[in-house]
Amino acid sequence: MSNAPHILVIDDEPQIQRAIRTILTEKGFKVTTASRGEEGLTLAATNEPEIVILDLGLPDMDGVEVCTRLREWTQCPIIILSVRDSERDKVAALDKGADDYLTKPFGIEELLARVRVALRHSAGRQGVTQSKVVKAGQLSIDLAWHSVKRGDEEVKLTATEYKLLAYLAGNHGRVLTHQSILTNVWDPADADHTEYLRVYMRQLRKKLEVDPERPQFILTEPGIGYRFIADE
Amino acid sequence: MNMQSSSFIARFYKYLFALGFIALVTAVLFALRESLDTALVALLYLIPLGLITAYWGLGPGITSALATFLTFNYFFIKPYYTFAVHRPTDVVILVIFLIVAIVISQLVGRMQSSLAAATAREREATQLYELSTGLAGLNDDRAIAQILAKQVQEVSQGEAVEVNIHGPHFLAFQLPEATQPARTPEWIVPLQVARGVLGEILLWRAAPAITSSEKRLLQTFASQGALALERARLAQAESRARVLEESDHLKSILLSSVSHELRTPLSTIKAAASSLRSNDVHWDSAARPELIAAIDDEADHLNMLVGNLLDMSRIESGVLKPKREWNILPEIIGSVLTRMKHLAGEHRVELDAPEGLPLVPVDFVQMEQVFTNLLSNSVKYAPEKTVIRVRAFVEGDAIHVQVSNQGPQVPPEHLERIFDKFYRITAADRVTGTGLGLSICKGIVEAHGGRLWAENVPDGFAFNFTLPLIWEGVSLPNLPMDTETE
Repeated sequence: MSNAPHILVIDDEPQIQRAIRTILTEKGFKVTTASRGEEGLTLAATNEPEIVILDLGLPDMDGVEVCTRLREWTQCPIIILSVRDSERDKVAALDKGADDYLTKPFGIEELLARVRVALRHSAGRQGVTQSKVVKAGQLSIDLAWHSVKRGDEEVKLTATEYKLLAYLAGNHGRVLTHQSILTNVWDPADADHTEYLRVYMRQLRKKLEVDPERPQFILTEPGIGYRFIADE
Repeated sequence: MNMQSSSFIARFYKYLFALGFIALVTAVLFALRESLDTALVALLYLIPLGLITAYWGLGPGITSALATFLTFNYFFIKPYYTFAVHRPTDVVILVIFLIVAIVISQLVGRMQSSLAAATAREREATQLYELSTGLAGLNDDRAIAQILAKQVQEVSQGEAVEVNIHGPHFLAFQLPEATQPARTPEWIVPLQVARGVLGEILLWRAAPAITSSEKRLLQTFASQGALALERARLAQAESRARVLEESDHLKSILLSSVSHELRTPLSTIKAAASSLRSNDVHWDSAARPELIAAIDDEADHLNMLVGNLLDMSRIESGVLKPKREWNILPEIIGSVLTRMKHLAGEHRVELDAPEGLPLVPVDFVQMEQVFTNLLSNSVKYAPEKTVIRVRAFVEGDAIHVQVSNQGPQVPPEHLERIFDKFYRITAADRVTGTGLGLSICKGIVEAHGGRLWAENVPDGFAFNFTLPLIWEGVSLPNLPMDTETE
């Protein structure tokens, strides 16, 4: 199992550590655990894990701080664990370089889905070519040719709509914060204008979703941002 | 200076009147001189003397006595028109007259001044009485300061009075309002109690100088005021203690209710998990997935319960501050519907919102919570296969949202109370839910400046709430639009 993906879990609660370790080991991952921020940073430096799962509420240091310190030298995906009602912390951590989040309590399916997305992205970073065509249900988005199709039919999008969709689809599976979308699709100066995002997202959903009120592809992450769900 | 000179003039007039009166009496007696005996004249002279002393005080009395002595000697004792006295009896009469005149003046004068003192004491007593009745029953520092300043001002007739009250909230009350002289006050009295100084009274009155009796009175006022303040503090402390006691009581009710609510799903989980572990349930038994589902569902239920409790405590402690952003209401509802897919079960949820519904400044997560709770409440009570309708429309400068279902109507007397914590219409309601959902909704909607109420509608029951479209006095900013196609 030497080439099993290595996951570092930084969480101070032994029960959570135990549960995650059991489940992930069962799924064929190599798991290391740390219960403190400093310990986690040291283990991350020595073991170079493929994925870091990080609890935001650590006893010795702020989880956001751990994120920042990790990002100083590694691009490995970081999945944050946190409790409900801490949207502010989650957004802070995501904007500091974390890749995804899970709200406690979470189902195992959710955890595994996040891990899969994270692995795919870490592979992408390491130069493994990713498909330039993102498929989601009837939709197919060709990021190289700038074309969006539903079935065989071309979907007409405005420039901004396309830019928005391309950013979402290019990071499919990952949560994207309002700020990161606004900064990337509009301009860093517009980072506070979530109303732009809301309006364009409505237009985009109207053009892409079967039922815009119950979206399947562009999901809202309450208080955080959006996530594009593509076929696996 | 002005007041001093006017009182000097008043005193001068008293002497003038006294002497004028003596002159008048002398003139009358002079006219009757031939028919009156010298001793009788002396006796008659005593009447104006007594009156003068009684009316104008000791000084004019003594002065008049001396003046009378001279006029008596000059006009009525032979030889007339000289101050010389020849008859020895006249000498005796004169001496007796002088003694009697002065004694009468003194006696009457003393009586007079003691009367004045008694009147002054009575006035002080009345003022004190007024102050203490004014202060009685006051529990508000501001009102106490007000009464104190008013009474001090009335008694002292000063240019300005200020009452300062120290404490957690410093408070100053001035009379006349906001016109206090720029110089340091002439007289400062601390409001002192055994525990320390609670404040002070400042009095500006340059003239006439504040007398020692006034100072004494003001001291008494100050101690009355200090006592009233201390009483107010004690009363406040007591009512705080009572509030704490009540909230403690409420907390213990909440705690017992909560522990019951928490234990129910826990019992299910424990029972299901332990029976799965004990191998009592066969691997391929049909009960197995059911037990696992029960554990999963009850864990979700527990999670919801804990979330609700947290929300409730946040609402109650007033820390629930909506993080407002311009949002599209149907998107929030959509997000809820997507997540409630399995919860909605056999109900059909219809969304009826106009295309051009304006953006609304709300906290996305909190509004999601409101819709989740209102919808799950509707799902719980409305019969299966019925429609739950969510309508949103603009009404004035607010958005009106209605969540209606075809469930049973609620008796009118319960319509208000269903938003109370742990309030349930029927005992059967205990089975599911936390009893907190609707009160949380109300708390959130009100934190957004809106209003939430319930009503019976022709074919069922509906929740209504409003959300203001104006946020901090600003309505929706302009949005950039692009229309060109890629």
